[in-house]
Amino acid sequence: MTEKKKHKVFIQGAITPTFIADSIAKHSGKTTIGAHDIFLGQVRNDMIDHKTVAAIEYSAYEEMAENLFHEIREAIFVKYDIVCMHIYHSLGLVKTGEICLFVFVSAKHRKNAFDACHDIVEQIKAMTPIWGKEIFEDETHTWKINN
Amino acid sequence: MVFGQLSEIINASELALLAINNTNELNKILFELYPILEEMKFTIAVNKKIIHENTPLNHKDIVALLPPFSGG
Repeated sequence: MTEKKKHKVFIQGAITPTFIADSIAKHSGKTTIGAHDIFLGQVRNDMIDHKTVAAIEYSAYEEMAENLFHEIREAIFVKYDIVCMHIYHSLGLVKTGEICLFVFVSAKHRKNAFDACHDIVEQIKAMTPIWGKEIFEDETHTWKINN
Repeated sequence: MVFGQLSEIINASELALLAINNTNELNKILFELYPILEEMKFTIAVNKKIIHENTPLNHKDIVALLPPFSGG
């Protein structure tokens, strides 16, 4: 049995540990699940030209990104035997050390959870129109480049 | 619609250009208006779909200039 509930991906500001804990707790009733895999993206204090990143301000082409998140989700359910998946991405300012991306995949067995979660994160990085502006401690900025 | 670093160069998040027939023409006009764009990497989305070749544009199409993505 699969669950394909639609939810909003974008969250204003950082994703809190409480929100993540609550998301995990919500799955306790789904007893067909045997494995969760979670990816958390955290804002890193990169040093660029002797300046340290203090925060990332995220922006997105929201309507296009929401469509793509939906397409990614549909394709993942076809490709992997998973029970459910959730994607949350921050918009606006997220400070170093805070969480900006939360991908949560649940399956009967671990392999599908691992593989699907990895695949989703890579697709988000490559395909979704989201941009990170790296704000330095001196309030100047540069535009993030994904590896 | 203009996003990310490109919105700083164009100094706006939206730009209205009239009577453009296709995306090649759009590029030409953009490069005339903002020569620095020629040195920048970006893709174009027409009605929220990324295009890979010259695409005809109609009056109501929404065109977006998308610099390289850096989500996550």
